[in-house]
Order: sequence, then C-alpha cells, then structure tokens
Amino acid sequence: MENIIADYKKENTHVDIQLIEVAYNDLATKLKTMISGGKPPALARISTSEIGSFSNFAVDLGEQLGGVDSFTTQFIDSIKPYYVIDNKVVASPMDVTANGIMYNKTLFDQAGVTVPTSSDDIWTWDEFNASLKEVMDKSDAKYGLVWDFTPHRWSTLLYQFGGSMINPEGTEGTINNEAGIESVNYFKKMHDDGIIPTSVWLGGENPNNLFRTGTVAAHLSGNWMVSSYKDITDFEWGVTYMPIAKNRSSVPGGKFVMAFQKSGVEEEAAKFIAYLSSKETNSKFNQESLFMSPRKDSADLDYAFGKEMFALFADELNNTIPAAAEDWSKQTIIPKFSSDLKDGLVEVIAGGSSAEDMLNDINDQINKAIADANDN
Amino acid sequence: MTTKPIAVLQPNPSTKKKRKLQIAPYLFVLPNLLIFTIFIVIPTLLGVIYSFHNYDGLNPMKYIGFENYAHIFTDDKFWSTLGKTLTYAMIVVPLIYVCALGVAILLVQQVIMKGFFRAIFYWPTMISFIIVGLTWRWIFGELGIINALLVAFDNEQITFLANPFFAKVAVIIAAVWSRLGFFMVLFVAGLLAIPKDFYEAAHLDGASKVKAFFHITLPLLKPTTLLVVMLSMIEAFKAYPLMFALTGGGPNKATTYIVQYIYETGFAKQELGLASAMSVVLFIIITIFTVLQFKLTKGGEN
Repeated sequence: MENIIADYKKENTHVDIQLIEVAYNDLATKLKTMISGGKPPALARISTSEIGSFSNFAVDLGEQLGGVDSFTTQFIDSIKPYYVIDNKVVASPMDVTANGIMYNKTLFDQAGVTVPTSSDDIWTWDEFNASLKEVMDKSDAKYGLVWDFTPHRWSTLLYQFGGSMINPEGTEGTINNEAGIESVNYFKKMHDDGIIPTSVWLGGENPNNLFRTGTVAAHLSGNWMVSSYKDITDFEWGVTYMPIAKNRSSVPGGKFVMAFQKSGVEEEAAKFIAYLSSKETNSKFNQESLFMSPRKDSADLDYAFGKEMFALFADELNNTIPAAAEDWSKQTIIPKFSSDLKDGLVEVIAGGSSAEDMLNDINDQINKAIADANDN
Repeated sequence: MTTKPIAVLQPNPSTKKKRKLQIAPYLFVLPNLLIFTIFIVIPTLLGVIYSFHNYDGLNPMKYIGFENYAHIFTDDKFWSTLGKTLTYAMIVVPLIYVCALGVAILLVQQVIMKGFFRAIFYWPTMISFIIVGLTWRWIFGELGIINALLVAFDNEQITFLANPFFAKVAVIIAAVWSRLGFFMVLFVAGLLAIPKDFYEAAHLDGASKVKAFFHITLPLLKPTTLLVVMLSMIEAFKAYPLMFALTGGGPNKATTYIVQYIYETGFAKQELGLASAMSVVLFIIITIFTVLQFKLTKGGEN
C-alpha cells in the first residue's frame, strides 16, 4: 500500500496521503469515533462487516467512477450487493475473498487418500467425512477438520445445503427452514463423530494454530490463509474443492475502500479511489499481497506463490449461490443476530438446544431486526 | 468567654497565610480531578443519557424513555449472566482472601529470601489480564503444557477449555494467581501494623497460635479485610479481559460474565443505548453491594 501511495503522490504532487494502520479489531470503533467527532478520514479500507454501518456516511462514488453500471460491471457480480446500496456506490472493491478448504497433503499422502482434482469429481459431504476418518485412522492426524469459529464460515454449509438466512426480497428470515435445520444438524454430527474437534467451537482454540501443528487433516477457512500458511515448512499443504451438498457454494466477501462525507477532500479521495480501482493498481496490490482481485479482467494474476490455489478459490466463487452475498451484504440486519447465531450453534453442539429451537429463535431475531430497520 | 470577642476583633495574622496554603492541596488534586472528570465522570453521565436512547454509536440518537430498562428486566440472559457473575465472585473473592492472607502470614515471618518470595507472588499482578489469559491458555489449552505432558505419558488428551466445569476452574485459578500478589501486599502492610506486644501478651497468657490468629490478627485486620473484600468483589464483577483471552467466554457461554455480555450488546450488536442501560443497572448493583458491606462492617472500624 505504501508503494502505491508513493507512486500516486509522485504523479499528483499537490496531494498528501497519510496512511494510518489500525488493528482490525479497533477499526470500527476508531471510525465511529472519528466520524461522530466530526473528523472523518478521507477514506478507509474496510471489510464487508463495516460497509453497512458506515454507508450513511459514505460519499456516493458512482459519478466519479464513471456511473454505477459501467463501474460495477468491471467487478465480479456476486459482490455487488455489498458495495451498491440503494443504487449508490458507497465503496469500491479492493480484493475479494472466498471461503474454502486447506488440507494437509502430507497426512493425506500418508493415509493414501487422494483429494478431488477437478470440479467433476468433488466429494459429497459424507464422502468427505469418510475420507477424513480414513486420514485420521491411517496417518498421524489427530483431528479431521477444523472450522473457523465464526457464523460467516459456518454459513458456507448452510448455502451448500440450499439454505439462506433472509429471503431475496429482504422481507423475512428463512434460516429456520428445512435446509437450515439440516445444515446445523450436520455440523453438530461432525462434532459428535469427532471429525471436528470441540476445542475450536467450544474451547475457543485458534484453528490456524491447530492446523499449523501438522496434526489436522483439513481447515475450512478462506483464501486469506494462503499468505498466512505459506511459511509452513514442516509439512506440505494444499487447497482442495469444498464438498457438495445440494449445491456447491462458497461465501464471497472482501475488502473495500470507502470515502467519507465531510472530510473536506471528498473529491480528491474519490480520485484516489478511482486510481486504486484501476486494473493496473488493483492487480499490483492483489498480486503482491497474495489477495484475489475483484476485477473481472484481473482474475488470472501472476502470483509468486500458490497460483493454482487461487484458481481453485476463484472456482469456488464462480460456483456460489446468490443467497450468500445477498445475506451477508445486509449489514444493518446481520450484526443484530450474528453473535446470537454463533452462540446458538455452540449451544446446539454442546447439546443444550435443538437445531430447530435455536434457528426458530434466530429467525425471530432476524424478523425483528428487519422490522426495526424498516421503522428507522 | 472573654476571649471570644477579642478573637473576632483581632484576627490571627496567620489566617491569611493559612488560606493561601489551603489552595495548594486543591492544586495538587487538580490534575487527577481533571482527568477523572473528563475520562470517568463525563462518560458516565453520557452513558446515563445514552441509556434512555436507541443509539448505535453513529447514527442520530432516538429518545425512547425507559424502554431499554424495561427490556433488561425481561431479558433472561442478562439475569442469568449476572447470576453466573455472582457465583464466580462468591468463589473467587473468598479464595483470593484466604490465599492472599495465607501467603502474607507466611511472608511476614523470618524466612530466607523473603523479598524474593514476595516478589514472586507480586509479579503476576504487573502482567495485563490479556497476557495472563494467554499464559494460562498455554497451560490448559489443547496445545498447552498439561496436554503435552498427558500425551508424553501416553494418556488421553483432556480438552479443559471445551468443558464448562474445567473452563470455570481454569478461569478461577488464573484470576486468583494474577490478583493474589496485590492483596498480599495489603495484608502484609496490615499484619506489620499489628503491635507485637499483643502476641507476646497472648503468648504469656498461654494462648495458642491459632487462638492468637482468630482473636488478635483477624479482628485487627478488619479494615484491611474490608478493603480487600470490597476491591476484589468489584474486580470480580468487572472481570472480562482475562476470560476474553483464556476462554473467550466459552464453552457455550459458561465463562461469559456480565461485563462481556454488556460489551457484546454494545459493540457486537451495536446497541449502545441498551448496553449503557445495562451498565447503569450493574453500577447500581455494585453500589448497593459496597454500601451494604460498608454498613455491615461499620466501615471497617474496630
């Protein structure tokens, strides 16, 4: 990022850009403080979770970036609901993320289990579980699968089972339908069968640390782990296709840049965002940071590491059902129930509640949040 | 009687000087008073104002009267979390009290390397709760020392932190370990302030050490006891960073106490108004506890 800023400043000598690096956990609080204090930053790089809450304070970039349609068609379609709100471009995509599975190649080889090599022969969830069981039995693997402890990553299973959280019109919750219940029960079953260790969802253990010990067969996370795992030298690892249930599906996400109203330099900020979104700058940024470009014309970047892995993540994204982005882009509704959904999933795994009761409760919360949002 | 009018007519020449001097204490207090006002008093008052509003910390506030408070009184989770916090406090406070007093009694004796041992017990209090939590996670966690030892001796792993009972025990152990030293120092000071003559007299009268402890040490430590119990009680109610780092509040909310619940309401669910109302309720509860304790122990006076 620093290099990009330096390049931009060279071309635009009248512009000065100060880069403030903020820990992700403090980002929302810091932005809230700056905005409510009347001193918003010119722009900020934010994730999908922040877009919804800050969109009221964002500059509409549509015009500056050449019109809503001509701008958005440059980027992959599935992320459009995140940054186009009420036909306003409230932010511009910087990189796109996809959930997916990393596996420990050394353990799979030791057990003599092969992973799917093309999208034609991917596992069903039952086949995947059987393979993991085999790896656990025939290799040094202690655990089958670790799964990031977030409702976002769990929802991958929901979409694969054909479920969704909210209907496409955004008028009511759908999380407690049959597909939803089935996906929660399947998630619990994998814990009960010992494929997923309880230490992550019940014990709060960091799944990345567990995978790094070399005793975990697979990790369901996202493409951002590639740059994190690239320093692993104790064993070989790779990326493979996520199993199929009713559908194949990943959950798209990403990072965006948003310019804020009342910063006093809205126009300059929009110009810089146009620069960041351009093919050249965006490709350079993503290629060097080992991220995936959201631009349709930059799908095939020449990564120095894991080029084939990124191709696989891109394939997951291309086979993602629309509900995934539609749900997660409703960021005025999601925060109202996502932490309770996480707690609810834990409660079901711990045996404290049935999937049906838990999802009914969450669905009530979704409906209440939708009603509240309409009131305001 | 006769001196009184004279005193009025002829004011003491040193009064003026005294007045001048009296400003100094206020000046000394001023910096702290300013900091306290800006960072504690004003935010507290703002919190009270927020508690009557629907507020997400960003968009304009909407006045809703006592709706937040009404919500709290029907929120089962709030009260069950508060109950859990109370249970935690009821276990941790006596444990800290007994351990800190025990260690203090041992370390006021003439033992070799007394300073070193006092330091050993005091050091943990200088470590932030987050680090304490992480440290104990490396002991109890899946990848922790205990499990590594279990595996090394061919035993099954125990997922301590995924088990509600063990997770609670782990939190209590870590909390006592990290706070023991601080309260030990208070007790050491209290113990050293008890005149030795009392013990000598008791010894001459044939009182046993146990008797001397219950009839001399404990009664004379009453002011320190009150302080320790009050401080550790308030700390227990406000406990959060330690659990955040050690168990994340899990498994299944087993170690989620009231402050974490309020934090999640305010920042994860973005309901700052409701969270503020919860804080006000917690503030009132802690105040009631403190006042009760103060009254029951008559302010810790002997």
